[in-house]
Order: sequence, then C-alpha cells, then structure tokens
Amino acid sequence: MAFSRAASLALAALLLAFPFLSDSFTAYQLGLYLLYGMVAQGIALCWGRAGFLPLGQALFFGIGAYLAGAALKAGVGWALLVPAFAVACLVPALLAGLVGALVFNRQIGSGPYFSLITLALSMLGFQLANSLNGVTGGFNGMTGIPGLPGIDTYETLYFVIVGALIVSTLLLAHVMRAPFGQLLIAVRENEERLQFFGFRTSMLKAAAFAISGGVAGLAGALYAPHQGIVTPQAVGFLLSAELVIWTAVGGRFGLIGPVVGAVLIGFMAAGLRDTFRYWEVAVALVFIAVVLRLPGGIGGLFPSVLRLFAGEAELGKSGIAPHPLAERGHRSAPDLRFDAVGVSMGPVNILNGLDFAISRTGIHCIIGPNGAGKTSALNVLTGRLPLATGDISWRGASLANTRPYIAARSGIGRKFQVPSIFPELTVSQNIEIAVWANRLSAREMFSMQPYAWTTEMLTELRQRFPSLTEGEKSAGSLSVGQRQMLDFSMTLLAEPDLVLLDEPCAGLSAEETRQMIEAIAAIAAETQATFIIIEHDMQVVERLSDHVLVMHQGALLANGTMTEIRANPDVKRVYAGGTK
Amino acid sequence: MELVATYGLNFAYSTATLGLIVLGLAVVFGLLGVMNMAHGEFVMLGAYSALMVQQAGLPYVLAIPLALFVCGAFGWLIEWSVIRHLYRRPFDTFLATWGIAILMRKGVEVTFGREYQSIDQSLPGTVEFFGIDYPAYRLVLMALIVALFAGLFVWYQRSNTGARIKAMVENPELAAAVGIDTARLSRATFIAGVATAGLAGVLLAPLVRVEPYMGLDYLLNSFFILVVGGLGTLEGLLTGSGIIGGADVVISAIFDKTAGYLGVLTISILFLWLRPDGIFSRR
Repeated sequence: MAFSRAASLALAALLLAFPFLSDSFTAYQLGLYLLYGMVAQGIALCWGRAGFLPLGQALFFGIGAYLAGAALKAGVGWALLVPAFAVACLVPALLAGLVGALVFNRQIGSGPYFSLITLALSMLGFQLANSLNGVTGGFNGMTGIPGLPGIDTYETLYFVIVGALIVSTLLLAHVMRAPFGQLLIAVRENEERLQFFGFRTSMLKAAAFAISGGVAGLAGALYAPHQGIVTPQAVGFLLSAELVIWTAVGGRFGLIGPVVGAVLIGFMAAGLRDTFRYWEVAVALVFIAVVLRLPGGIGGLFPSVLRLFAGEAELGKSGIAPHPLAERGHRSAPDLRFDAVGVSMGPVNILNGLDFAISRTGIHCIIGPNGAGKTSALNVLTGRLPLATGDISWRGASLANTRPYIAARSGIGRKFQVPSIFPELTVSQNIEIAVWANRLSAREMFSMQPYAWTTEMLTELRQRFPSLTEGEKSAGSLSVGQRQMLDFSMTLLAEPDLVLLDEPCAGLSAEETRQMIEAIAAIAAETQATFIIIEHDMQVVERLSDHVLVMHQGALLANGTMTEIRANPDVKRVYAGGTK
Repeated sequence: MELVATYGLNFAYSTATLGLIVLGLAVVFGLLGVMNMAHGEFVMLGAYSALMVQQAGLPYVLAIPLALFVCGAFGWLIEWSVIRHLYRRPFDTFLATWGIAILMRKGVEVTFGREYQSIDQSLPGTVEFFGIDYPAYRLVLMALIVALFAGLFVWYQRSNTGARIKAMVENPELAAAVGIDTARLSRATFIAGVATAGLAGVLLAPLVRVEPYMGLDYLLNSFFILVVGGLGTLEGLLTGSGIIGGADVVISAIFDKTAGYLGVLTISILFLWLRPDGIFSRR
C-alpha cells in the first residue's frame, strides 16, 4: 500500500508535533505504544498480507530488547552502539527466517500449527529468559539500562522512536507495494497455484516472517532504553497475545491500522484500567466481535480515510520481460519419460506401471475412462503426488518425487481442470504474477520495474481473449469460461516448454471451446512448446492432435495416431464397456 | 524396587491426569474441529467451582455438579453465540476462542483476584502401595480416571449417540440428510467436552496451583498431546499423554522442573514441525 505524500507528511508532522501539543509524559507513553505498533505492523505483514498468523511475536521483540539492553549497559559509545542495534534487528530477523524456512518447507498452507509453534517458541523464550540469570537477569529482569547517549529518555527519545516508526513504515510500505507484496497476497489466496509458477512459497513466507522479526527486533531495541528495564515478560506469551489483539482490532490489512490499534488500546487501558474493573473483559469482547464480524478491524471501518494514504504506485517504464529459463535449454526438444511409474494411495494403486515417452514437440492427448489415472499421471509428474515405484525423467534429469516449484522451474507448466486463479487480485495482477514466473529474481521482487514487464505472448493472448483486457476487474468476479481463459493464459505466460492442460474446455460454451482450441493450436505451432492435454471430447482430440495416449486402470492401454487408436480392439473394449 | 514403584506410580499419575485434562479438548478439537483455545480456562472454571464450594463450607463432592453446571452453561452460551457460526473454519475458532479465553481469565481475575488460591484435600494422608507410601487422593483420582475412560470407551463404541457422533464427524451433510440433528448434536458434544474440562479442574484443584492464568499450561499441554498422539482415537490420546507426561517426569527427575518444562516444549515443537498428524501417521 503506497502512501500519498501529502497525507503521510501530515501524519508524520502531527506525530512529531505531539510533544508540543500535549505534555512530555503523554508523549513518553505514546512512544511505548508506537513501539508496540511497529511490532503490530510486522504481524500485519504476515497475517493480513500472507495469511499466516505468528502468535509469538514478542519473542523477537524481547530478543532485540535484551541485545540492545546489554549493549547499552556495556556503556559503549555511538560507534559501537549503531552496529549493536543492527545486530539487535538482524538476530531476530534471522531467527524468524530460519523458523519460517524450517516450518513452511515441510507444511504447505497456513494452518494453525505454525501459530502454535511460534506460541511454544515464545513460551520457551520466556522460560529461558527466566532461568538464565547470568545473561538476562532472570525473573527480576535486566535492570538499570541507561538511555541512549546524548538523548533524554523522557524528552527527545520520543523523536527517535517516531523516526524509527517512519522508517519501518516506509520500508514495509515498499515491501507491500513491490512484487514481493503482491506475491504474498497470492500466497494467501492460492499458495499451490503460485508454486506451479515456480515460486518457492515457503521461502516467500519465511522472508516475510524474517522482515516482521527484524522490525520487532528494532522496536525491542528502542524499548530497552525507553523503559530502562527488560523482564522476561517482554518475550512472553501475554505480550504476544496482546500484540495480535492490537493488530486485529486496529486492522490487519494495512500499516496504519495496527499502530492505531496499539495506541488507542494503550491509552484507553492506561486511562481506564484503574477506574473500570472490567476494562480488559471489554477489550476481549471487542476482539471477539472483530473476529466474528469485522475482519478488517477499525481500519476496515474507515476504508475511505485510509485510501487517502494509499497513492498509486509509480511504475517503471514499460519494458520487455527477460527470457525465462534462458540457461535451461529453453525450447530445445522435449524428452519426457515415464518409466514403470507406480503411485498408490493407501491400499489403492492409482498408477500401475505407467510407461510412455514423448520426444517430439506438438500436441499429445491423453484419453481414458474416468479413474484411469490421467490427472494422477500429471500430478506425479509435477510433484503433487508421491512416486512409489519407477522413475520419471524430463530432459535427462529425474523428476521422481519432485516438488511443484521445481517442476515449474524445469519448464513444466500446468493448468488444472478447475480453473485455479488468485480471486482477490485483479485480472492484471494475476497476469503480472504469471509474467513474473520463472523470470523474477530475488532482487527484482523488491523493485517496481517488473510491474511494467510485457511479453509478445501477452499481446497475442489479449487479442485472442478480450476478457484479459479488463484489467481492473477482480479475478474472482469472472465467469467460469473467463476464468478458464485466464488460467490458460497465465499458464502460457510463464512460457513453459511442456504445457500440461487438464480438460481445458471444461465448462466452456461451444463458442468459447472453439476459441480455446484455436488458441492452443496456434500457440503450439508458434512456440515449439510441447503440449499434453487430457480431454474427453473426441472431436477436440481429433482437431488438436495426431498422437493419442489411451490410459486404463493406471497403465497405458494404447499409443498412436487417432486412426490407429480407433482400430485398436483393446480401446474398443474399454469404451464399449466390455470385460475389464 | 521402591524407586521403580515411585516412578511407575508418578508416571501413571501424570499420564492419567494429562489424559483427563486433554479429554475435553480431544472431544472439541478432535471430533468437532474447533481449536478451543479456551480449553484451559474451562479447567480453571472447574477449579474455581471447587474453591466456591470450599468457601461456602459445603462438602467437596458438590463441586462436581457445580463445575459441570457452570462449564456446561458457559459452554452452551459460547457455542450459541460464537462457535456455531464457525464450524469448519478452524482458524477462526482459534481466534474467537482465544478472545473468549481472555474474557474468562479476566472475568475470574476481576471476581476472585489475581492471587493464588489454595484448595484443601478432602482425602489427606497416604496409603501403602507396592511397599511405598503414596498419597491416597492421587490413588483414588487414578482409579476414577481409569473408570471414566473405560466407561466412555464402551459408551462411545456401543451407544446410538456414539454412532451418531461418528457419522456426523465423518460426513456432516450425509448425517443431516439421514435425519441426525447435527446442529444439536454438535452443541451437545461441545458442551460435553468443556464440561469434561471442568470436571478435570475440580479433581485436580487440590493438587495444582489455582489462579486465573492456570489454564495456559493446560491448554498448550493438551494441544501438544493431541498433536503427538494424533486426533480422533483414544489410543492416540493415551499415547500422547504417556509421551508428554513421561518426558516431563523423566527430565524433571534427572535435572529440574524447568528442564522438564523445556523438554516438553521442545518435543512438542518438533512434533508440530515434523509430524503434525501424530506419531501414528504414515508420512
């Protein structure tokens, strides 16, 4: 979310002027809540953006606080204090990145297990901080931490905090606006589809978590001189819990909401805790109401106000996208081999020694009755099903038990039978992600240039499918036919060498089917890519392909031209419902 | 020999009490898919029911019906107001019940105060058992828990209601189509689950620290046990309790209480990371 300059400057000026408008004690209090707000912004990046909820964020806050506290107590000057603060940001960031990489690499999706792990880690941290007396000061905490040299804790430290908040907000705003931020929404919306574009989603999530950990560490590093004491509570479960509540109530989808939540609840708590006994019960009620009825929190109540701060992203000059997979023998002859492939799920053998090879470009169709294992064959090829026996190789390299993003990076593109898109994103954002597939480097994820990338394929697809030009429409509002076309176009925009299409005409009208067939035939002829299409409609098969593979009960039944297949007695028996 | 008996009894005791604590969550999370973060708070409500009975000078046994009533009524209220809108949305139940947990903690804190409460044992003294003196209350408690589990197991396997619950868990739409009132059955199951947690609170109250935040430990231990043992089976529940309880007892005996706690946390994190479907999963 970008910040329009005028509104953001006004907000920053208001924050800076606050001590003069109010008194310095209130500003001191505000400073603490702003620090909590910074941590909450990091939670918003993970939770609102990428869809996974970190429940132990205080761990990173507390580590930053202890590290900075130790450096301050050592009494080093600014020359050593600056690197010490950098360490206080980096250590939590690396820890968060490591935890994220380890956990997300094993588990796709954003289930509650990640949240429980972060919660348990925060409790582990609390227990360690409590028992390591020599390092942390144990239960009584690390006490007597001096302020920053030359900065008055009660007067001028506030401005340092506001400065840090502005820097972290600008940084997070850029991260969210850049391709990285758009990919995080795609992770939230449809993580699996993103993997089939060659993105290692576990690393995207780990990177987002690392950024949130670093911001939390910075806030913690300023918390140490602000409070003068760091106790185990700073890494513990209760602060972690409150941070999530502030984020939820303030609004987890933006960057201003979390800060507003922390400041608002912070001041109300300070004012009401002593006079109104049921204050915290009331906060819990508000939190429940937000979960049930108002996922956007307070920020969701005032979208028009927040839009003031969201300007248009400045895009780079339009440019031609780099060639994907340049070093990987792009567009050289295909060489796909299924070698006695077996796949089983529990006691059921889905594939039973499937054997075939494809060594020439063009369009190859797989047909076969329901349950023959056609989709499973594509699933095992792209790492969606585990290979039990046999081997699969693509251009000489084994793809046995591959993972979807590796298959995609090897030049294999896949379109599912049910169109799989990113519904909350607009049509052009969907297209952008597909254009980035196999092209976007880690550095370019944080640059604005890739938004302007265009390819010849995109121009051609826009001519063939006019619905692609309605870029501002949200992809979720498209009709089934338009979704099929969008999904098909996205698959081709990654310019894979091996295109796997699972019933591309399912749910299309007669006219749309004609358009789709024409597009497939024309693009196959132009690009020298190899297509494998699962299709039930024999007319479509006949129009598109001269090489047909017939599957039955998890194995290859016949293999040849359409005329040969028609004459094959085994195929006749299967389709006429004879003996099995 | 005596040492073996002591450790054996300690292990049996910790497995049994953990099994009792986790039972309610196994019902609510394992059968209904509700990630009840307020589970520990229902244990706490049970313990505070015992406190109220004691403060009123009534016989301790009365705490059991009181806890079942308090937890049942509160369970009914939150099922009706919150949970029933969230079935099959585990992540949202996770957040909403967490808010409920805070509500319950703060509510109890406001009513009874933040301080630790002490609850007298109704069965003081020890009995000789396998050559060692063991607290009588613990032995009675273990016997009660074994009887409860056995009864529950037989009931769940044999009764019509047990069969209906299984049908609902397997396929709610089909269960509703063959005439099972799934809304009512879910509510009853939820209430039974949280009432069990309350019962655990009453039975354990004399032996553990009782304060508004006590639920947190039980909550995490319970989730860890379910993750270690896997969802939906009684064997898994007992295996998980045995592993977590055993690790705690063994590590605490070798080092100290803190090390035991850290060991349990570490084992749980490893399971959450590497085997989230439990020890019996074939992954």
